[in-house]
This record gives sequence, structure tokens and C-alpha cells, in this order.
Amino acid sequence: MQMLMQTLVTGLAVGGIYALMAVGYSLIFSILNFSNFAYGGIIMLGSYMGFYSLTLLKVPFAAALIISMLGAALLSFLNERIAYSSLRKRHAPSLYFMISAMGTSIFLENMVYATIGSDYNAYPAIFKQSSVSIFGSTIGKLDLFAIIFSLIAIYIMNYFIQHTRTGIAIRAASYDSEVSQINGVNLSAVIGLVFVLAGLLAGVSGVFLGMKYMAYPTMGWITNKAYISAVIGGLGSLPGAVTGGLILGVLESLVSVYVSSLLRDVFSFTFLIVLLLVMPSGLFGKYLEEKV
Amino acid sequence: MMTKKTKKALATLLIGLLALSLAACGTSSSSTTAPAGTTAAENKEPIKIGHEVALTGGSSLWGQSEKQALEMEIEKINAAGGVLGRPLELVAYDNKADQTEGVNVAKRLVGDKVVAIIGPAQSGVGIAASSVTEGAKTILIGTTATNPKLTVNEDGSVKPYTFRTCFIDPYQGKVAATFALNSLKVTKAAVLMDVGSDYSQGLSQYFKETFTAGGGTIVADEAFRSEELDYRAQLGKIKDAGAELLFIPTMQKEAGLAMKQAKDLGLDVKFLGGDGWASKELVELGGEATEGSFYVNIASLEDPTIADWVKEYKAKYNANPVMPNPVLAVDALRMVVNAIESTKSTDSTTLANYMSTMKDVPVLTGKLTMDPKTHNPVNKPAVIETVKNGEFTFFEAFAGQ
Repeated sequence: MQMLMQTLVTGLAVGGIYALMAVGYSLIFSILNFSNFAYGGIIMLGSYMGFYSLTLLKVPFAAALIISMLGAALLSFLNERIAYSSLRKRHAPSLYFMISAMGTSIFLENMVYATIGSDYNAYPAIFKQSSVSIFGSTIGKLDLFAIIFSLIAIYIMNYFIQHTRTGIAIRAASYDSEVSQINGVNLSAVIGLVFVLAGLLAGVSGVFLGMKYMAYPTMGWITNKAYISAVIGGLGSLPGAVTGGLILGVLESLVSVYVSSLLRDVFSFTFLIVLLLVMPSGLFGKYLEEKV
Repeated sequence: MMTKKTKKALATLLIGLLALSLAACGTSSSSTTAPAGTTAAENKEPIKIGHEVALTGGSSLWGQSEKQALEMEIEKINAAGGVLGRPLELVAYDNKADQTEGVNVAKRLVGDKVVAIIGPAQSGVGIAASSVTEGAKTILIGTTATNPKLTVNEDGSVKPYTFRTCFIDPYQGKVAATFALNSLKVTKAAVLMDVGSDYSQGLSQYFKETFTAGGGTIVADEAFRSEELDYRAQLGKIKDAGAELLFIPTMQKEAGLAMKQAKDLGLDVKFLGGDGWASKELVELGGEATEGSFYVNIASLEDPTIADWVKEYKAKYNANPVMPNPVLAVDALRMVVNAIESTKSTDSTTLANYMSTMKDVPVLTGKLTMDPKTHNPVNKPAVIETVKNGEFTFFEAFAGQ
């Protein structure tokens, strides 16, 4: 029983980070209908910004978090303006967006290799390493903080999209970009804003990943898991992304403990395939009809 | 007919492909291309020594240091008149510590007609590369590749052109298990290894064999896939099994994170690892959790035998060599130089035959004797190091078998 609780808690801690990244993916998917593989690169750079803010500039943690959020937001915005906007203006099919995104991702990774190098950069200890006990299972203070902060960030993001005027414009554009433009929505500005929002989340994810693990050039690979989470939850749906992330995190932990740690990905991907067979648009997906 | 739109679309696709292919061609060369076709007749022609090394990627920390050490050594040899009156030239290509890249690099070096290849440092990469070099009759000397299969075939026969300068996994796994039983006095051990790595699998297998043969029990045998960062699920199981010691035969990155996460889970065990730990990053990544952990290493910075060389390296590069790779690469180079000078030849078969029966050849770490049946050096000493106040400290020595 205690083992099960511990596994669930561990799963939630991992899933919290997946969820945070999945939301960024889903946001961009919801408006441009393609999977932005460059997002992993933005998260990686966000993580490096956090690392250098803490080690070189020696700013307090909160300031480092803000610096990397703003920095990642700027990069994400530039990513759209440089790599995607001209494709968008020519109404290129989403395959081209994806190729461009992959190119950007490889470019960013190799740029870091070439300039910063391939070292693993451990964040300085922000919290003294200690853990908290919940119902007999232990969780690191950092993990607890990361889960809570991630959920708050996602909540604020969701509130913004659901309840503000700009949020309504984003949602309108994501349903039908042509019609929303006719109704006076500045599509280019809305898309830019979506990338900025996704970038803010990328900054948070980057800093948390760096604190939990470390900052290094290929850390973007972990966003594969976030992408799967987003697909499980239904691409384009924010609550779906959060649910997908938590489900994947918990599922992975359960498989590792009760089946075999080696079969973890076999199980996760089988789950994904079965789920897509039963619910082709994921748990909360809404796009399938329009896409066909 | 091609419309303007399709043309543009095609152009974009091409740019994308170009970006991908550029990234794929990242293999970097550090030598200037010398004219092909070295003939022994032209005696001033440099003798090319190949270097299969990870200059980018996760293992580059050691790779870069290894290359610097070889460059320093070759500079010295050339300043002293070279070998057989000919200068040495290092041809180093980046294998990214990757098996596919390792094979590509081996093919390139064979094409460059190098006399011998130093490296790779990783067993998996070395085994893959030796499939190329054996066929091409090119000498390959693994530096820190400790898996037995580097130098012997599956059927137990020795690979005539493949050697190494370090001890092998069975020995390292044995040292770790013996140390756990005799010095740490534990009887219940758990293992957390990387299934994607030959190195990790080799060490863990021999650790388990020796540990159980010596009266200990393996209470948990867990694994993860390479590139994974979160081991808490596995660690939770290990905690539940009541282990006293956790053996983590991985590289510093995984080991550092695993120890940190183990402490988060309140796992109170002793940590033990292999030579893959030997990088400052272990302490940086693992933080205070690494304090008091032990690992087996091939050589120690504090080893008095190499003290002068370490000083020289430090004076030149303003940093300590990243142990143990540079030392073993220099051993390999001295092996090659000794062979060329003794046989007065650069023919690979002559050299390989000579190396196979080398006895008491002076190298950096002492005197090297090769076992002709396995091409492993005999009597290589091992050291146990520990983390004390965040620094690697020499703990005890393990004399050769």
C-alpha cells in the first residue's frame, strides 16, 4: 500500500512537468494545427538562461525564473516570426511547418553544442535537499514546489484564455482563423501572442527541468513525452494536456514498479496507440471533424 | 508546369533538408588533410596516428582532455626528433561516443591510412569500430573500453589487431563487489543500471556474480534506458527491498541524478560505482547526496606514478586532466611508439604481432605487459576513490591480480 502511494506521488511529480510542457505544445497546436518540435529547443534555452542567471548574474531564484520566462517568450516569438510566419502567409501545408520546426530544433541544439558546449550544467541548490512526507510517502520539496507552481501557471494561463478579451480572440482564431479575421481579429498578432505565452511556459519548464535534473543541449528530447501527453489529452486542449501529462507520469511510474522499468515506454506507447484507436482525437480533443 | 507556389514550396523543403543534412554532417576533423598515399620511402612523411574520440556530446569532457593529452605528448615526441626520424601526426575525428559514428570514423581513419587508432573510450563504440578495423588490418587500441568483447570475438578467439590499455569489466565488477563485501561489510546490495550501455551491463553482471559468490544477496536488480533522467520509480522499489548498498555502474550523469533522487526518497544506502563516475559533474549533479560514495577507478590524479605528467598537463592547459582517459590514451600512444621503434616498421601486421607479446614496456602508468590470448594488459592496478567534502579523494588501492 505504501509502495503504491509512493509510486503515485512519484508519478504525479513527473507528470506535473510533462503537463507544463504539454500545455505549451497544445497552445501552439490549437492555433496553427501543427506540432512545434522546436519547442524542446526553446525549453532547453530557457533552462540555460535560468542556469546562467543563477550562476553568472547571481540573481535570486525568482528573478532567474522571470528572466528565463521572458527570454524563452522572446525566442518563441522569434521562432514563429522567422521560421513559420512566411510559410503561414503562403498558406503552406502543415507538413512544411513541421519540417521547419525540426530544422529549428536541430539548429538550436547544435548551436548550443558549438557555442556553450556539451557539458551537463547542474543548477546550484536553491532548496536545501530535503523531502516532505505525505501519507507515508516521501517527495522532494523541489518536486512539490514544481507541481504546485506548474498547476498555478497552467491555471492562470487557462483563466487568461477563457475569460479575457484577448483570450477570446485566441480561441476564436483557433476555431476558424479566416472567420475571426473577417471579424476584426489581427491574426498575426494573436499567433505572436500564443507563441509568447507558450514561451513563458517553456521558460518555467526549462528552469524546473534544470533544477530537477540539469541543463544540457539534448534535454529537449524530454518534450517527446510532453508531446505524447498532449496527444493523449487531445491536441489543442489545455485541460487535456494537463490530464494527459499526469496520466502519462503516473502510468510510467506504475509500469516501472509493478511490471518492469524496461517495459515502461512499451506500455506508454501501447496505451497511446490503444487510446487513439478508441478515441482518435484524444481525451478532450475537439479538432477531428474539422481536420478531415 | 511548375507554378510559383510549388516552386516556393519546393525551395522551402530543400532548405529544410539542407538544414537537416548540415546538422548530420557535424563530424568535425581537427587535422589538416595531408596528402594521401604515405610511402615508407619518403622518410620525412609524418606517421599518422588516428584518434577515435568523442569531441562533442555527453562524453566530450573526457574526449577533449584525451585529445589534449595526446597533442601534448606528440608535440614532445616531435620536438625530440620524432619516431624513426619522422614526425607524428594526430588525426582525430569526433565519434560523439556513438556506435554508428564510431564505425564511420573508423572507416575514415582506415581511408586516411593511419598506422594505429587510439580509442574509442567506450566499449560499445569500440566493439562496433573494431568490426571495421579488423577487416582492414588496422590496429585499434581502446583506452577506457573495459568490456572484454572489445579484444576477443564471441567464440573467445582474440582479435589480432585490437588491443586495450585498461583493465576489463570483470575485474572492475569484481573489485567493486569485493570492496563492498570486505571493506564496507554489506550483505544486501541493489543494482541500478543502464540497459542501453554495454559498459553498464558488463559491470553489473560481474558485480552480481562476485557479490553472490562471496555470500551477499542482490535484493533488487533494476534498470533504466539510456537518456532517461528520472529513476524514482526504480529507487522506490530498491528502498522497499531493504538494500544496504546501491551499485550504480553508469556514467556520472545518471549516477549523480540517481543519488540525488535516492536521497529525495529517503533511501539510506551506501553508493558504489565504476570508473564512469570519475568527473566533477558527478558531484555537481548529485550535490550533497554524493558525499561518502565510492567508485572504482582506473587511475587516480593522486597516484604518485603519474604526478609529474599531471603537473606538466596542468601547466600547459591550466586544468587537471579529466581522469582516467588521457592517461590511458598516452599509454596507448607510448605502446605504438615503442612498437614502431622496436620493429623499425609501420606495417600494421608487424606492429600487431609485436604488441601482442609486449612485455614490461614503459608507459605512463607503469610497465605494460600484454596477454597474447586476450590482448588485455596484465596486472593493471585499480583504485577506490571516495567523495569527501565534494572532492574525489583516494581511498584505497587494489593491486593487480
